[in-house]
Amino acid sequence: MNWIQVLLIASVLALLVFLLRSRRRAKSKAWVKVGYVLFVMAGIYAILRPNDTTVVAHWVGVDRGTDLMLYALIIAFAFTTLSAYMRFKDIELKYARLARAVALQSAQVPEQR
Amino acid sequence: MCISISDTRYHDVWIVVPAFNEASVIGDVISDVRSVFDHVVCVDDGSRDDTGDVALRAGAHSVRHPVNLGQGAAIQTGVEYARAQPGAAIFATFDADGQHQVKDVVRMIDRLSSEDADLVVGTRFADPGVVSRTPLLKRLVLRSAAALSPRSRQLGLTDAHNGLRVFNKTVADGLNITMSGMSHASEFITLAYENHWRVTEEPVEILYTDYSMSKGQPLLNGVNIIFDGLLRGRLSR
Repeated sequence: MNWIQVLLIASVLALLVFLLRSRRRAKSKAWVKVGYVLFVMAGIYAILRPNDTTVVAHWVGVDRGTDLMLYALIIAFAFTTLSAYMRFKDIELKYARLARAVALQSAQVPEQR
Repeated sequence: MCISISDTRYHDVWIVVPAFNEASVIGDVISDVRSVFDHVVCVDDGSRDDTGDVALRAGAHSVRHPVNLGQGAAIQTGVEYARAQPGAAIFATFDADGQHQVKDVVRMIDRLSSEDADLVVGTRFADPGVVSRTPLLKRLVLRSAAALSPRSRQLGLTDAHNGLRVFNKTVADGLNITMSGMSHASEFITLAYENHWRVTEEPVEILYTDYSMSKGQPLLNGVNIIFDGLLRGRLSR
């Protein structure tokens, strides 16, 4: 086993522990956690037998396993960016509502003339 | 204006003025509005100058955002304040930079009551004869924005991004602007469409002073507005 493989597997496992320990609403996130585990298992397999990704790549008409990984990464990155953007917009709206509540509580009425 | 403050015709009218760093002009704008309408609420959108104080001294109710949120958020705040006031029945949004005219609001209020409409939107483009010297590029962009927006087309509106609007309590109660920035104008129209509010247009004259031109939004912002409009349906409210 190469040193790089040890390093990659260690960081993937660390990521798994970190993600599974994050305490969000348990039920709704259950499928996401199953996804993490599957992702980590596939990751470790690909690290140990890198040539097998090339076999999968050939199935879908891509020359090298590395290229397939890159394409998957680009798609995943685009989805992550979009979902972060949506989340950000949601939080912005909550922030606006909070600021509005504060503003309405401290409204000033002009002196009657 | 020849109508005095003691005139009671417009006691149920609330004018909402969103303002951001407008201290130099807001006093005159509020006084001008107050020459006809008793009730004005100025939403100071987290200005760095004393916009809120000047507005208060000029006789407006003053609501201050602790941070800058954007014009859409300011309008929503102003409407929420106004609709909670006893006796409030008619509402108007009016820009703080002095580009709108009080006589246009009076005419729009008359149309709201006479035509059985829920919402009257001002338009710069109704009659080519009175087109208010809108700069050519701005005119092209605004017209194509109106033409590209499916909601504006369905409602037969020619100028969705006009800041001058008059509406009744139904609209005020149902209003829920979630686009804090400049996309609120299209969102307003979308809300009108979704809620089946009866909308009509009234020609108004926009005063393009150097001041209001310098405060206006850059035309490139249209790209943001279209993008926000596409995403809007996918956000929780």
